[in-house]
Amino acid sequence: MTADKEKRRAISREAARRRRRVESEVFEDLSRLLPLQQSVRDHLDKPSVIRLTLSYIRMHTLLTGKTGTKAEASHKVKCGQVTDGQMVRHEFNGGCGEEEEKERYDADASKETNMYLRILEGFMMVLSTEGDMIYLSDNVSKYMGLTQAELMGHNIFEFSHPCDHEELRNNLRVTAEEVWSGGKRDFVMRIKSALTHRGRSANLKSATWKVLHCQGRSKVCVAPSSVSCLLLTCQPLPLSHTLLSTQTFTSQHSMDMRFTYCDQRMTLLLGYSTEELLGRSIYDLCHTRDTNCLTKNHFNLCFKSQSVSGRYRMLVRGGGYVWVESHSAVIPNARSSKSRPSANQPLCILCVTYVLSGVEEPSLQLSLDQTVHI
Amino acid sequence: MSAGGCDGAADRRADVSAEEGRAGSSLPAVELPRKRKGDMEERLSVDCKMEDDLSRSEEEDQQVKIRCFREPHRQIEKRRRDKMNNLIDELSAMIPACQPMAQKPDKLTVLRKAVQHLKALKVGTSSAFADSTNKPSILPQDDLRQLLLRQAADGFMLVVSCDRAKILFISESVSKILNFSLLELTGQSLFDFIHPKDINKVKEQLSSWEYPQEHIIDAATGVQVQTDAPVRPTHLSSGAWRSFFCRMKHSRVAGKLEEKHLLPCTAKKKDTSRYCTLHCTGYMRSCPSSQLNSEGDAEKETTSLSCLVMLCRPLPHGSPQPPKHINAKPSAFVTRCAIDGKFTFVEQQATTVIGYLPQEVLGTSCYEYFHQDDLHHLAEKHRQVLRSKEKIETQCYKFKTKYGSYVSLQSQWFSFTNPWTKEVEFIVSSNRVMSRGPGHMRDEEAGRLKAMQEETKQIPIIPSLSNGVGTMIYAGSIGTQIANELIDSYSRVNSSPSSGASSPFGSTNEKCPLVSPPISTSASSGGGAASSSSQSDSRTAAGASSATADSSGEVSQLDLDGMVVPALSSFSSDEAAMAVIMSLLETEVNVGQSGDYEDLHWPF
Repeated sequence: MTADKEKRRAISREAARRRRRVESEVFEDLSRLLPLQQSVRDHLDKPSVIRLTLSYIRMHTLLTGKTGTKAEASHKVKCGQVTDGQMVRHEFNGGCGEEEEKERYDADASKETNMYLRILEGFMMVLSTEGDMIYLSDNVSKYMGLTQAELMGHNIFEFSHPCDHEELRNNLRVTAEEVWSGGKRDFVMRIKSALTHRGRSANLKSATWKVLHCQGRSKVCVAPSSVSCLLLTCQPLPLSHTLLSTQTFTSQHSMDMRFTYCDQRMTLLLGYSTEELLGRSIYDLCHTRDTNCLTKNHFNLCFKSQSVSGRYRMLVRGGGYVWVESHSAVIPNARSSKSRPSANQPLCILCVTYVLSGVEEPSLQLSLDQTVHI
Repeated sequence: MSAGGCDGAADRRADVSAEEGRAGSSLPAVELPRKRKGDMEERLSVDCKMEDDLSRSEEEDQQVKIRCFREPHRQIEKRRRDKMNNLIDELSAMIPACQPMAQKPDKLTVLRKAVQHLKALKVGTSSAFADSTNKPSILPQDDLRQLLLRQAADGFMLVVSCDRAKILFISESVSKILNFSLLELTGQSLFDFIHPKDINKVKEQLSSWEYPQEHIIDAATGVQVQTDAPVRPTHLSSGAWRSFFCRMKHSRVAGKLEEKHLLPCTAKKKDTSRYCTLHCTGYMRSCPSSQLNSEGDAEKETTSLSCLVMLCRPLPHGSPQPPKHINAKPSAFVTRCAIDGKFTFVEQQATTVIGYLPQEVLGTSCYEYFHQDDLHHLAEKHRQVLRSKEKIETQCYKFKTKYGSYVSLQSQWFSFTNPWTKEVEFIVSSNRVMSRGPGHMRDEEAGRLKAMQEETKQIPIIPSLSNGVGTMIYAGSIGTQIANELIDSYSRVNSSPSSGASSPFGSTNEKCPLVSPPISTSASSGGGAASSSSQSDSRTAAGASSATADSSGEVSQLDLDGMVVPALSSFSSDEAAMAVIMSLLETEVNVGQSGDYEDLHWPF
């Protein structure tokens, strides 16, 4: 190697170092502009900085991309609030311009938002049509074990169960009709959760699957640039702390949805005795037009182990029907199990069914079960 | 900006551009394979520690692999570079300043433009994103609230006092959902807006801690947990969760088209209010009540008030819609049959078409109403639908009405397969009247058909019957026989009988908590299948026990016995005999083998 070549190599190395320094500085500048806590900022790597920048810009586009302006959204608000026991009314007209009041308004908004997120028992997710998680509310860490900064900008397909991908893709598609009416979305998906059963964050490599109920709608912004996305709330489906009211009953089913147990309230609400129901399929008890709804629910249970049914009609003994909604989960069949749960433990389905309406069309007898006299 | 090529080259270009002050231009990518290899190796050995191009999480990965795996490492490098390049591309697409560039800008330029853009955005927004606690957030709080409540959750927040259900707070988004303004709602009693029949339910949710027992389900066992000890309010006031549904009034005054999209309300005749079903979830909380009871309840000044803080969301649009919205035409209706063709569900709209009330046809076989000319084609369709996952369209056929005349129908049949057992459980039929004109058709049709009937009074050909012994009475048994064929096919597939409880669950070995349904169709035994079908087949459940008692392998004959026995009770004696004979003829293979007919209840 000639001295000349050596020298050239040294120059290029030096240039490379300088380049990298310049680049790092720009990355620093960028990350400082992002509204993040310092502790979070310190741990960001370069791809993450870009990811979060992208999210920031996209959300901004989304929020300003209305027919009105952001001003319209922020200022035209009348609200009554309870703050420290005082009834406070804020009324903002456009261009009020008082900094203090604005700050207090923002503070209230933040309290309200935090409260919403808490009672929602879930987190918020904004998905692009390609599946990028443009935005996640910061409580996502409570459910997925990964922080907002770690997840934002990544693609949902990296974190969801492969078998749910097709359903996800279908939901991500925004059709032409939905542009103006905002298509609703309601589906169940499995997502990686890096939470241990104790609630600690573990490595993503040892993640388990968590079932989330996602509800929301599609949103399309036409100006300044065309952006469409899904706005979703994602909730895990707990059954454990459901306070049963008089219009709610539980039932247990074998995996083919035949009744194995139902509580007394069902008899009160629907008129069937437990004996009548044992071994009967739930499909027999429901309005035929709701077969699809029940089938989808059943599929979710078989594949994802939890489901929310949406509204369907259960036929009442003696005539008519009620609208109900069921929240169900697959659980080990505690009745027939031995003390230690085993891999081949029989499973059953536990349903909590909420009765939504009174008995409609009570004189109508639509099905065989309603007419049977035992 | 390199197009996925050598990062080194791109850097070099950027450096040159920067030095020459031409930030906007970029030289075409130059592929320098040999140099790249050498360059990379050099970079790795010398600069890997200072290599901050690499994402930190993969750094360890890379360092471990440096020494051992050169080849895969290049791929890791490439992947990382590609990822970075993709991100840069995405970024440049989002930044207006980068759009009009003639050639793709390089990485550094894009980053610098991004910095400028962010600065510009911040100038546009009036406030910093920090909230009162100085915790910065990616979104301004107000926007987040709007997004969350109006768009994603599509609901409103409601705080009501527990003692009198006074609405303490309601968020602005309620106006879009219930069409009431905040003024009309705040301070009112919630009960004024709840459907009368749901008032008790809501009362219970608000005050349930007064009851000594709570009904909570232990999700692990599905068993209701009852706590006998009386629960004090303070114990519950922090974090007690509530979830319930109720119907709330919504006003028609602001009546836009949106109303149509609001979910099924029961518009009662006496009460002209319309209601919207909401799912309310939230927590009990205690709020200091100093100002809340300003209406003059002096006694309650100092006690802390409990309130329920809820998020209320209208139910999403699901597929179930009230009958009024689907098939508004009176000439279409839905029915459901067991796999043997017996009606188990008939919609009320059917009455205007067929004359019978649902209860008059429930339990009878659809074949009893088919015209004899159509029996063959419909039986074929019946066979077809039981084996197909598709919707089967029938041709036009005649259905006998209560008055003896025939109405022309055309149906779409679909067999429902249980997602778990993979067996067909029933058939859903969507029926519509085929008429060329309103009203007149029926008489014309009826007249014509009557004429046809008189001239072609022949014995219908029941499939598989060797001689034309059967008459119309045996039409019903056609369905049974077709159903039996299906049951047979299930039991033939399942070589090993097992009790219904264990086999469907046997093949689950997915990681918890997932459950995978059995992959093969032999999920449930022949015995199980027989019992399920016989239950749907006949009204009595008695047959089930006899079916499951079968446990031998070559069970097709005994299964049929299990099937036939309960069915016999619902046939007239002649029909029953016919059915048995037919089934025996069908399965003559087994006649000689299992000769135990003593359990059969021969009617003669």
